[in-house]
Amino acid sequence: MTVMTQASGGGGRSGSLYDVIELILDRGLVIDAFVRVSLLGIEVLTVEARVVVASVDTYLRFAETASRLQLTAASDTKTLPELVEAIADDDTKNGSKLVQARKEGSR
Amino acid sequence: MSTYVYAFTGASHPLPVDSLVGVGERTPPLRLVRHDGLTAVVSDAPERLRAKRRDVEAHERVLETLSAAGTVLPMRFGTVAANDEAVKAELASRAERYAELLKRLKGKVEVNVKAVHSEEPVLRELLLGSQELRNRSEALRASGGGSHQDKVEFGEQLSAALDDRRSQDAEQLVAELRPHASAVKLGPPVDGCFVNVSFLLGVTEREDFEAALSRLRQERSELMEIGLYGPLPPYSFLTSGEAGD
Repeated sequence: MTVMTQASGGGGRSGSLYDVIELILDRGLVIDAFVRVSLLGIEVLTVEARVVVASVDTYLRFAETASRLQLTAASDTKTLPELVEAIADDDTKNGSKLVQARKEGSR
Repeated sequence: MSTYVYAFTGASHPLPVDSLVGVGERTPPLRLVRHDGLTAVVSDAPERLRAKRRDVEAHERVLETLSAAGTVLPMRFGTVAANDEAVKAELASRAERYAELLKRLKGKVEVNVKAVHSEEPVLRELLLGSQELRNRSEALRASGGGSHQDKVEFGEQLSAALDDRRSQDAEQLVAELRPHASAVKLGPPVDGCFVNVSFLLGVTEREDFEAALSRLRQERSELMEIGLYGPLPPYSFLTSGEAGD
């Protein structure tokens, strides 16, 4: 497949068959007079397994992430040392938090 | 021998099928079945078809090559007719409908947009936007993290807030892109994306659409990643008015 534009950032959203497989398997013309080869099991596996359902594990992760974030989100008035601390605490790789912290600092 | 069907095209399609092979282990050559102004691109059907990489890729390669060369009506993966005569009979019995669809889709392609939230920045925004969530998070931290049950409940509350945010952002993204496309079709939220949506684009719409998407990407790069896939054959835009969907 040709990809018109690459996704920005490094999140692994590059173009591949897999990214549009639900279109190939679930869309397209269906003709009553023709048979659709039975692929049901595989199809369900391929498409529905990719629909993420929130679970207890997800909830715990959200709660933990949120309490970690509270450090930088709790206060609207931040001192410079707090900001520096928040940035240093940050374990993400892309540096976008720096911008985020600045924005919060200016609110 | 039954017949695997890839696509229907109109009379003016250049049909570059010589370099292509069909689905199945034996990679059969493609054939053309014609009736009046319509052509079906077909091959011998393999004895066993799998929704695995090899066969799906072969199907997709045929469709993308045909679609790049002209307007096609793509079949769903795995469509098999009893024989070439049955294909011809289908073209004959619904010639008008296929001609109408080909006319409506002339020169148009599908692009698919999937967007995922960056979890931390979005959770941060949710907390910043809700005193209630902030209080709850604060209370949990004050009690040393809270019990398992407390955490699950808080997480569930966050998850609900996140769901609202997902629908809002999905709606907004679609609303921003919709004016640049001929048609729109929503898909299931696969792989954690908050929006999975296809657009039908005419030749003249593609540039504007891509520009609008680039703008959105830049504006929202902190909160989400927006993937664009295509151009694809118009998989999602094959239902004519009477067929519904």
